[in-house]
Amino acid sequence: MPGTSTSPILSDYGFVALVLVMTFGLALIAAGLFLRAPRQWISAPPAWAQFRFGFVNYALIFLAFDMEMIFMYPWAVVFADIGISAFLDMLVFIALLGAGITYAWGMGGLEWE
Amino acid sequence: MGVIATSATVLAALGVGAALTWALERLFLQPRGEPGPAHTADLGRNLDIANSDRWLLPAGPVVALAGVALAMVVVPFGPDLIGRDLGIGVFYVIVVIDFVVLGVALAGWGADTPDSVEACYRIIAQLIAYVVPLGLAYVGVIMMARSLSTVAIVEAQSGLWFVVLQPIGFVLYLVTGLMQSYRAPFLEPFAVSIGGGVLGASGGWSALLWRIALAGVLFLVAAICAVLYLGGPNGPLLPGWAWMVVKTYGLMALMLWLGRAVRPLSTARMLELSWKILIPLGLLNVLLVGGIILLGIGPSRP
Repeated sequence: MPGTSTSPILSDYGFVALVLVMTFGLALIAAGLFLRAPRQWISAPPAWAQFRFGFVNYALIFLAFDMEMIFMYPWAVVFADIGISAFLDMLVFIALLGAGITYAWGMGGLEWE
Repeated sequence: MGVIATSATVLAALGVGAALTWALERLFLQPRGEPGPAHTADLGRNLDIANSDRWLLPAGPVVALAGVALAMVVVPFGPDLIGRDLGIGVFYVIVVIDFVVLGVALAGWGADTPDSVEACYRIIAQLIAYVVPLGLAYVGVIMMARSLSTVAIVEAQSGLWFVVLQPIGFVLYLVTGLMQSYRAPFLEPFAVSIGGGVLGASGGWSALLWRIALAGVLFLVAAICAVLYLGGPNGPLLPGWAWMVVKTYGLMALMLWLGRAVRPLSTARMLELSWKILIPLGLLNVLLVGGIILLGIGPSRP
């Protein structure tokens, strides 16, 4: 932002924070608009109970893969500058990931239970 | 432009984008098909739900809308038409768009009806399916653009669009984009069979916010796709924003049309598709793009 002495990071994320605050304002306006709308009562049985969900294994593998995907981002930014050695490093990394997913698949981890 | 005017413009762009998205989706509605998630919420009445949580239920749509609005900040609509060019651009988009999932999960759990709690579980399963392949599609683009910034990614495509260089990544993005925006074949969390899930437990103002957020997320997914693969606002003759709008809605129409052509997938099938096909494909795409860059094809160093 020209004309101010604040750091660019502060002004950038200040802007992000401002958008966030304005979104809350928008939500309040929307709530205000519907104050006089008719109300309807819904009775449903309570549902807070222990569920058996079918994607436990996926969720556990996901945690590992999501973190490993994050590691690829800094690597991807500098990849073209470093060249072949970065490629070989990533080849090892992807081979490990591939082995991981093959192992999970082979052990029946990629199944809905 | 002042900071406040700019941020208001970002939100206005989101509102207009969402409204146009909603209109476009109407065109693709099939008479007997499931309506999109943004079409079932009832604006006519406020709801009081017997066992609902006082804070979680109303927090849901606000959190979802906030995620979409925050992602809107870094979408470039022209050379100078951008909220802020954050250095971490696309990474920031990946992170904040997932607030939609958080919002649905909060409201679904908070409403405490069997249907909405089911929707909470389904949307988390959907997140587990789409995040990794979507992230791998982004990685290919970042490797070529050498930057996370959306503006730098658009500049890197001034010669050749990345859709030509990375067709696998583009297809990967289209499929995972449909998962991310909960459109047909992947609309399990908002399926009619569970009463629209969270939407069945919303009414009045929360239904309005859900409509904006869920139409906005499709708009954003298409806009980010245009930035990543179709050169964003670059194009001859027309001004940048016009190109951006054309590309965004063109992509959206393509995604909706392709999605309607496939039978809806259950959550289990979707997870299988993602982990057995899309993720290996994504890893392959990263390697292929790396090889292409090493061969010297792609945007040259600025």
